[in-house]
Amino acid sequence: MSIRITQQSISASTMRGLQANLSRMQDLQAQLSSGKRIAVASDDPSGTASAMTFRSQQAADEQYLRNIDQVSARLGVTDNTLTQLSDRLRGVRDLLVQAGNAGLGADSRNALAAQAAALKSEIVDLYNTTYLDRPVFGGTVPGQQAVDPTTGVYIGNDQSVQTRISRDATVRIDVKGSDVAADTTPALLDRIVADLGTTATIPSADFTDLDATLSKVMQALGDVGARASRVDSTKANVDSHRLDLVARISENEDVDLPQAIMNLQSQQVAYQSALGASAKILQTSLVDFLK
Amino acid sequence: MSGFSSLNTAVTGLAAAQRAMDIAGQNIVNANTPGYSRQRVQLAEVATATSSSLFTGGGTGVGGVTVTGVARIRDVFVEGARAAAGARQAALTSQTSALTGAQQLLAEPGDTGLQATMDAFYSSWHDLANNPTDVAAGSVVLQRGIAVTDQLHALANGIAGQWTTARDSLQDTLTQANQAASDLADVNSKIAAGLVAGRPVNELMDQRDQLARSLGTLIGGVATPGQDGQVSVSVNGVAIVAGATAQQFTLAGAATLGGAAADPPRLMWGTTTVPVDSGSAAGYLAVLGTDLPSLASTVDGVATSLKDIVNTVHATGFAKDGSPGGPFFAGTDALSMSVVPTSPDQLAITPTAGTIDGTVAMQIGDLSDDGVAETALGRPGPSAQWRDVTTLLGVRVQSLKNAGDVQDSVVAAADSAVEADSGVNLDEEMTNMLQYQRAYQSAARVVTTVDEMLDTLVNRTGLVGR
Repeated sequence: MSIRITQQSISASTMRGLQANLSRMQDLQAQLSSGKRIAVASDDPSGTASAMTFRSQQAADEQYLRNIDQVSARLGVTDNTLTQLSDRLRGVRDLLVQAGNAGLGADSRNALAAQAAALKSEIVDLYNTTYLDRPVFGGTVPGQQAVDPTTGVYIGNDQSVQTRISRDATVRIDVKGSDVAADTTPALLDRIVADLGTTATIPSADFTDLDATLSKVMQALGDVGARASRVDSTKANVDSHRLDLVARISENEDVDLPQAIMNLQSQQVAYQSALGASAKILQTSLVDFLK
Repeated sequence: MSGFSSLNTAVTGLAAAQRAMDIAGQNIVNANTPGYSRQRVQLAEVATATSSSLFTGGGTGVGGVTVTGVARIRDVFVEGARAAAGARQAALTSQTSALTGAQQLLAEPGDTGLQATMDAFYSSWHDLANNPTDVAAGSVVLQRGIAVTDQLHALANGIAGQWTTARDSLQDTLTQANQAASDLADVNSKIAAGLVAGRPVNELMDQRDQLARSLGTLIGGVATPGQDGQVSVSVNGVAIVAGATAQQFTLAGAATLGGAAADPPRLMWGTTTVPVDSGSAAGYLAVLGTDLPSLASTVDGVATSLKDIVNTVHATGFAKDGSPGGPFFAGTDALSMSVVPTSPDQLAITPTAGTIDGTVAMQIGDLSDDGVAETALGRPGPSAQWRDVTTLLGVRVQSLKNAGDVQDSVVAAADSAVEADSGVNLDEEMTNMLQYQRAYQSAARVVTTVDEMLDTLVNRTGLVGR
């Protein structure tokens, strides 16, 4: 049995076909104009889940990079401070060596003692170096000082301060006061100043104690340098992960332009031929041929 | 057989052709009328009693033609299939449109969704950890926290708004269905009366089928042909139209999203719940009773998870004045979420009282990682839950759209089956018109021929040689 065709069914199926064509054109148009393959979750639910994960990780990576910048700046300040500290301590040691000269008079000794006292106050200031209002050698102490500038007593604590620099790693960003002898050096320097001013021969304990302090500072300097290099390599890793995510987000969400344009072109051809065919079929009827 | 009876025969032919032309005209003018079924004249030959006598001639039994009726071409089975397909399509359409609206609310994937807001919130804690004495960093944490609660409020309100819109649409659908039911009952009674009186009822029957079909589309009513050309409609066994009487269905159940889980909206006939499973109403009922309440409760789940996880870590810290950390978030669901601390000094970011240390702030910031959040919470963290919410709704809408596309082609096939059966083909009607025009002309020719015969008989007889 052949199916009976009517004008209504022809126009209905024509409309359906044109509608379907137009709606595909609209989808492609929307994709091309927004540049996005996924506008709402239903466009690609699993792609949406990936998109959200990627974006979340990207936000975390950006935060890690910000943390790393803070850590680098702080370690830079610490490194600089420790270098200056070692210079000042060497200065004190030079004074001690000069004081070993038996020909020095009392005036010269007093001058050496005065120089040592000046260096001591510089050193205490260096121990109180702050970064963003926090003492770099003071642990988690409230206030901005690690060493009391008048009494020279260490008032910081040895609590470590950590910052997250990647999903799996944290780094210590401070230096323990005891690791740079912040707790003993002011007293030692007071003793040396006194020895310089009074004693004719400098006790050997002054040398050994000062050398021990200096070696602690040098060790801390090495430690800070090692941390800075670890932070740098982590930064490279996090940055490459972030860039990788950018690429993956684009791959996941963005429209493949050449393909979308191709699709749009072929869709347009289909639409135009549908229009042409419909115009031809719908125009004719028996009425045209009756006299 | 007399000359006069031949005239009569020709007259019946004229009348029949005239009637057939009328019907062709009716078909042509209604070619585009929705729900119109094409009509056909039914012709039958008329035989006269065969009796033969000298005066009546040879009993040939020629009586002409008569119109026995006008048939309405319509197949109930094809029509039933189309109604069922249309009802299913309406259910899918209403459900899809309501859920598509809900999906727009989520604003995912994007830079403005809850995910991005939560990420920014976690980030602000890391910034605070980097600079624990900075009041500005603390204010940023508070503001980002408020931004998260604002977004949760907007989501909860948006979902409640969608729910109310869907309920209004359901109420509207029901009003239309009740109206269609009483209209159908009215048409039913007119058809019965018309049939008894022998009046033509084809046009009424078209109306009747249209109304029955719209009841299918609205509430999934199934039409059953009854006596006297009447149609009864029932929804899964609950009758809404029986012959000339119509029932009114009412909408019962919660009027707000809050009560929907315990008291889902439903259609009632008196005290009986009407089990609606197709038609627009079914789509709205699914959205109102299941989809939106479960979406709202999963969003509430995200909110409470976020509250639990942040508060747990925040409680391990101490504020600037040394007091132990209180809750950061308060509330029991997405709509009631709020940020408790009002000043940056109240943020408990140090793990030891009386020190300045951003460790607790760092730990809260670390919660942005799914693994850390799951360990802290003992279940997937708020970000993972939120992704689940988005993905599940996306899958739901996608599958509804796919089912809708399939149903569209089913409806298209059913439509063209009905159209093939009942639709008007203009070429066919033209041909019919020509055919009946010729028949009319020929019958008229018979009249003139018989007239000439009678003329010969009446005027020329006995005039030979005059």
